[in-house]
Amino acid sequence: MARTVEFTLDGQRVAAPEGELLVHAAARHGVFIPTLCHDDKLDPYGGCRMCVVGVEGSPRPLPACATRVAEGLVVSTNSDVPAYRKTLTEMLLAEHLDPSPGGRPNELVDLAEEVGAETPFVLPDAKREPYEDRNRFMGYDPDACILCNRCVRYTQEVMQCSALSLEGRGPHARIVPTHGYSWLDTECELCGGCLSVCPTGAIYEKFEEGTTRPERALEKVKTTCTYCGVGCQIDLNVDPETKRIVKVTSDPTYLPNEGNLCVKGRFAFNFVHHPDRLTEPLVRGEDGELHPTTWEHALSTAAAGLNRVKAEHGAQAIGVLASARLTMEENFAIQKLARTAIGTNSVHSCEAT
Amino acid sequence: MNIRRGEVHEVVSFYSFLREPTDAVRVCIGPVCDCLGARDLLAREQEQAQDGARVLGVECLGHCDLAPVLMRGDAVEPELAHSTNGGPSVDLAQADETLADYEARGGLAALRSLPQPGRIVEELKASGLAGYGGAGFPTGVKWEAVAGERGPRYVIVNADEGEPGTIKDRYLMERRPHLVLEGMLVAMRFAESTEGFIYLREEYALSRARLNAALEELGAAGLLDGLQIRLVVGAGAYICGEETAMLESMEGRRGMPRLKPPFPSQVGYLGRPTLINNVETLAHVPAVLRMGGEAWAALGVRGAKGVRLFSVSGAVARPGCYEAPNGSTIRELVEGPAGGAIEEIGAIVPGGAASGILPPAALDVPLARDDLREWGAGVGSAGLQVFPASYPPLRLLAETIRFFAEESCQKCTPCRIGNRGIHHVLAELDAGRVAMSREQVEEWLDAMVATSICGLGQGAPFPVRNAFRWWPELFAPLGEPARA
Repeated sequence: MARTVEFTLDGQRVAAPEGELLVHAAARHGVFIPTLCHDDKLDPYGGCRMCVVGVEGSPRPLPACATRVAEGLVVSTNSDVPAYRKTLTEMLLAEHLDPSPGGRPNELVDLAEEVGAETPFVLPDAKREPYEDRNRFMGYDPDACILCNRCVRYTQEVMQCSALSLEGRGPHARIVPTHGYSWLDTECELCGGCLSVCPTGAIYEKFEEGTTRPERALEKVKTTCTYCGVGCQIDLNVDPETKRIVKVTSDPTYLPNEGNLCVKGRFAFNFVHHPDRLTEPLVRGEDGELHPTTWEHALSTAAAGLNRVKAEHGAQAIGVLASARLTMEENFAIQKLARTAIGTNSVHSCEAT
Repeated sequence: MNIRRGEVHEVVSFYSFLREPTDAVRVCIGPVCDCLGARDLLAREQEQAQDGARVLGVECLGHCDLAPVLMRGDAVEPELAHSTNGGPSVDLAQADETLADYEARGGLAALRSLPQPGRIVEELKASGLAGYGGAGFPTGVKWEAVAGERGPRYVIVNADEGEPGTIKDRYLMERRPHLVLEGMLVAMRFAESTEGFIYLREEYALSRARLNAALEELGAAGLLDGLQIRLVVGAGAYICGEETAMLESMEGRRGMPRLKPPFPSQVGYLGRPTLINNVETLAHVPAVLRMGGEAWAALGVRGAKGVRLFSVSGAVARPGCYEAPNGSTIRELVEGPAGGAIEEIGAIVPGGAASGILPPAALDVPLARDDLREWGAGVGSAGLQVFPASYPPLRLLAETIRFFAEESCQKCTPCRIGNRGIHHVLAELDAGRVAMSREQVEEWLDAMVATSICGLGQGAPFPVRNAFRWWPELFAPLGEPARA
């Protein structure tokens, strides 16, 4: 545990663990400092400058996202700070041509509303080359990008890959999938992490079966991802009218995944409403076709079949293969079924390979 | 090599010599070249270019004394020539071809009878020597800070001269490479560094050859025993002259400035304490030690301390690089060594792009920090540029801001968008339109000065505010500033 130190925040003496980022310490003491380029998963960057605060002894304001609490620090978020925030927001708006390409929340637009900033003019070089990608899951509109570099840093620091790059410098700098290739031709695994950290929704989900509603108008249903045993916590985003799942998100506060997901968890949810999905038990009849039936009948048919094999060939003739999508508890129950009810040692999960 | 494709792409796209072929024709369109016809030269070269040959307009090539200037691969046109003078400190009248030349002129004396470190700091402090790259941080204080950190320590010579109108480091490296290296060796001995680096801009091909030859001679003379000195050649990015961007560049990344604190004296190259000095700053160190700090300080006039090299370019008879006392007036330099103005003077930039833009009335202002501050300007890198009355101040300002916008690394919002926004306001004003009120422009400038990460964004507002002050009629359509 870091030792607790005292510092001054807008005239109040407050305590925080030494070395805590100022932006976090301030939030705990009720002072909200806006950030755009900051993400708790990433190393401090200090690029957007939205979080600058006055620090006694420093000739210039310092970014709260990269400044750490120390004994005796004297921090001010009033004085000139609100004016800087408003001006910096205006600057970002001057090249923010598309506020909502894919319906994701836009922190810049929220901030502009909060600080009362308006677009002063449109920079003549604000328009960036459009980007079309043939992948099915993620879209990217460079005109909504504010070059906070969160997505690139996410790929580098969290995913340890280099799917995205901050390219060039000067007015033509932009963020692109590396070399301007399709995401499919980079190291990208389509996990959508870059999308999840994008503060303006410049990277967004392409909807297979869409909704016209923005993300905030969707109902979130928290659940556990069914794809593997990790147990990532996700929010199914449901269109309140059609009651269909239209996207999957995850919150950075959710454990164990901290908002990170894989391509399956984030994008492969369309099986839920797929017409081919089995929604009731089926048993093959005398005619060789599958027919809907009751669970009771289906289970007793399966049990009878297994018992027949066991009687004719012995329990070791039966093997049990568990789905990778089962949880640990379900896997425990499966091996009990195999070993005690059936009596076979041939039990396996494809997660083990 | 354990380097990811994305990193390669990010780095290659950042540096102009990695992005564009090294043998391209590069026409300088910096302000001095621009006012002397660079745009016409560029158009002519583009017209005459053979199939497939690249002709580029580039930011300041550091040969403003030859303006308008271009580079065909490594070759400079017009042909390189030096116009300079003698002086008590670095004495550019001498051109040392060999180490023997240098020694015959008293070279290596400081290195051979090096005072104790404490004494060196005292002399440096007494001399008033301050970083001549443009930031003006007191050299003695910086050396003392690095010495106070735990070793191992590195020494880096900042030879990434890129400030428009500044040619002094090139003159030094081309004429007195051994002197520069002696200053560096003094710094390394002082900091007990065994590894040193020279970060040299790609465009300075002759400097590279001269430094390499001098290093070879020093090595052969046994003066580099136990030391490792590496010449790191940059790849074309103005921002890499900013010391933390330079460190990023040396470590193989995009030259994007680090957040300070910590400063390089604490956490520098590869995380170690690092002493970074400009070429010229180091070149004065042997003279400071030879003469003693106080005597060197006494070379200054009108209350300023010491001497420095002034790069004088633009509408003067003898553009070049001249050693003169700190505190010399603009007129003393222009009418003295530079041979006088060849046209009516319209505007004067005292010390590089971010130093300010002054009216002809400033001719008698001493080139010293305190005097220039009264005029809202700074002495910067002492790149004194004289613009003729035929070159509109609004264009000079717009070109200056365009330069900053082009060279911005894009990390921080105020520099990235601030410069482009101000350039837009100036372009609109030139076309008779008002993009933003004066009051709002002032707010943008305030935010740039206060919240930019490095000197590029922090410094860009100076020439704008100078122009507001000295040419108010040009900006009248924007309205009145809200406050004094």
